[in-house]
Amino acid sequence: MTDSACFHCALPIDPRDNFQVEIDGELKPVCCPGCKAVAELIRDTGMASYYEQREAPQPGIGRPADDDAQWQVYDNDDMLAAFAEVRDGEAEATVYVGGMYCAACSWLIETSMARMPGVTNADINPVTHRLRVTWSTAKTGLGGILAALADLGYDPQPLAPESAARPELLEQRAALKRLLVASLGMMQVMMFAIGLYAGDFQGMEPSMQLFLRWVSFAVTTPVVFYAARPFFTSAWRGIVARSPGMDLPVSIAVGSAYAGSVWATLTEAEAVWYDSVVMFVFFLTLGRFLEMRARHRSIDRSVALSNVLPNTVTVVTDEQRKTIPSSQLRAGDVVLVKPGDSIPADGQLLEGKTSVDEALLTGEATPRPRGPGDSLVAGSINLDGVIHMRVETTGGDTTLGTISRLSERARYARPAYVQLADRIASYIVIAILVVAAVVGTYWAIAAPERAFVITLSVLVVTCPCALALATPAAFAAAGTRLAQLRLLVTDGNAIEILARARRILFDKTGTVTKGRPVIERVEILDESYDEPTCRSIAAALESVSTHPIARAFQAGGEGPDISDQRVDIGQGVSGSIDGKEWRIGKVEYVAAEAAPADTAASVYLGVDGQAVARFDIADELRERGAETIARLGELGLEAALISGDRERTVRDVAARLGIREVHADRTPEQKLDIIRSIQQSGESVVMVGDGINDAPVLAGADASIALAHGAELAQTNADIILVGESLQPVSTAIEISRGTLRVVHQNLTWAIVYNALALPLAAFGYVPPWAAAIGMSASSLIVVLNALRINRFGAS
Amino acid sequence: MNVLYVLIPLALLLLAGAVWAFFWAVGSGQFDDLDTPAMRVIMDDDTKPPETKNE
Repeated sequence: MTDSACFHCALPIDPRDNFQVEIDGELKPVCCPGCKAVAELIRDTGMASYYEQREAPQPGIGRPADDDAQWQVYDNDDMLAAFAEVRDGEAEATVYVGGMYCAACSWLIETSMARMPGVTNADINPVTHRLRVTWSTAKTGLGGILAALADLGYDPQPLAPESAARPELLEQRAALKRLLVASLGMMQVMMFAIGLYAGDFQGMEPSMQLFLRWVSFAVTTPVVFYAARPFFTSAWRGIVARSPGMDLPVSIAVGSAYAGSVWATLTEAEAVWYDSVVMFVFFLTLGRFLEMRARHRSIDRSVALSNVLPNTVTVVTDEQRKTIPSSQLRAGDVVLVKPGDSIPADGQLLEGKTSVDEALLTGEATPRPRGPGDSLVAGSINLDGVIHMRVETTGGDTTLGTISRLSERARYARPAYVQLADRIASYIVIAILVVAAVVGTYWAIAAPERAFVITLSVLVVTCPCALALATPAAFAAAGTRLAQLRLLVTDGNAIEILARARRILFDKTGTVTKGRPVIERVEILDESYDEPTCRSIAAALESVSTHPIARAFQAGGEGPDISDQRVDIGQGVSGSIDGKEWRIGKVEYVAAEAAPADTAASVYLGVDGQAVARFDIADELRERGAETIARLGELGLEAALISGDRERTVRDVAARLGIREVHADRTPEQKLDIIRSIQQSGESVVMVGDGINDAPVLAGADASIALAHGAELAQTNADIILVGESLQPVSTAIEISRGTLRVVHQNLTWAIVYNALALPLAAFGYVPPWAAAIGMSASSLIVVLNALRINRFGAS
Repeated sequence: MNVLYVLIPLALLLLAGAVWAFFWAVGSGQFDDLDTPAMRVIMDDDTKPPETKNE
């Protein structure tokens, strides 16, 4: 067998075809005219270095849209208004680009967009897979842009503008501006402060001192009123809600130090504390910014589910066909769905016969046959027939919409320990305020002229700043470290749970297995045929089938000549070789009297009603699965396998991985019940599943890890998303999470020890405010540097 | 030292200019993506298309 994988998309090449493309003077084999066209397009535009830079081939894509009309729809004004913002002959749209795998893809897309006439700007975010493109409406249209993306082999989906303007983006912009104002303000005021301190020691003209104070005032004012505003609003919200947060003492310290400084400037009193104020605000703002960035690494889910549904649908009215945006679809419409397209709404099949893949909703990968009168659910994929369906419910009312709402709700329920942490925080805050008030009152009686300075020092020194940075800094570093290991953290809370978890549940299909069938065993039932012959006949027969199991039969080498090949949906494939009728498929389809199968999935090959061979099909295990389970065991985690599959299959997989606890034959609800019963016994559960199929189960677990790639990424609800083929990062994630929690504990201990030492000193008046601010900053710095050690965790 | 009375306000003016420029840049979306630019420098896009176009 020669090099039989497609150079562009890595799919196996049918040996009967001979498509080749010349790249860098070498002839490379490709699988189809589509891949040939795409590869040539990439070469002819000088972008062949894409092939050197990409991390992995794009599996299974690379067929240009056979139907240009599909994209032309986007050129009409209605569609333009629905998906783009038009201003002065320039339009801007956000397009979700499915099928992106790596940075080389984003380079390819940006470069080819930039070369398109009429396109003025194109930016792609490789993390969210969103392309923001602006173009001149006179020169090109949205349809042209989408067609160009499809020609490159990607799957573009324009997003409606409201989903494109994400609130996180606005939050990030505001936070960046605040951070800049705080940092520039801090640098300037510190410079003036050095001048003022030097003046204290060496003597300074009073007019210059006053000038520097007023200049400091001018710079500090925007820092306090602009950069520190979130602290004041959040402190106020805490007061209103009767649960004072960390921001209350911060606000009091910042507000009173600022007010005291202004008063001192006006009355030309002895000292000002502008430097303490800006330093304080800067460190706090930086901490918040880092925390926000970690939080935003999550993937926007609101658009996720609409990505599953088609953007346009073909509506059939009185023998006329019209393409409309899916958003305009109404109950009662009759829609035409072509093979390979997803079902746009819940409804009833009117005409045609097909099978559908409902894996998205049920997790069941086996296609289900559907005929007239059967119901269809939105988001499932029409596999092999052209069908007409009547729409019953659309949008949020569909099964898909309900599922997404349910998992959304599960996601927003706050775990109890977070609420507990919040309550403890508000006690600390109240304690700080009480201490400050007691110290203030004492000094107001003992030495009224020092009371303000000492109270301020107490507030600054006890500022829970290191305490507030201790956790987010460590979590942000952990998020970055995990991302380097191809684990995307979308919910920081998961790290804490992962570190504490003692139970880990794995879903079977698509999680510990690859979701790709392979032939596990061949049993010859008729001795007159040998195994290679059976394999090659089976492969040749199955080459025309679209059933997922057919993928197990890789066509390799010369197959026999088959005539009259026919696919019987839900049964198998038949064809004749040398005048004999061969069949492959279910046992009753091939031969009535053959022995019944004893494994979950068996395919029979037979000739003229006699069974010849049995192929036991199994799902290939993911790389390093057993190793990962063993490592989890060393870490003290008990693994269990839960699946909707039959007992025997699941036990078999569990045995190969070394998992002892097995729950087979469970519906998603029963899986959720298992999780709940473990939770009721007081243990945290980590669930590892495959993205959306297990969405409700994943959402019900304390922490969830989903294995996903490509377009599925955006559709996943899990706390942590694992990109790639290996299971091994799961155990690494646990190790890093434990390391992170260790760092958090060190940080918290340090912050508390520092506060415990500094508080009495400040209360007795030994710490001036500037020293308090420096002490606080140094303490914060230690905490951040300690957190950065996490970047080296999990290296092996 | 009297020159400070001129230089410091001048510095503040420059500072205000820098803040304005940054706000404008943030508002026009130049800082929306903080991840890609780091990767972009390592991609070279100076490979020339073949001299003669076939087909």
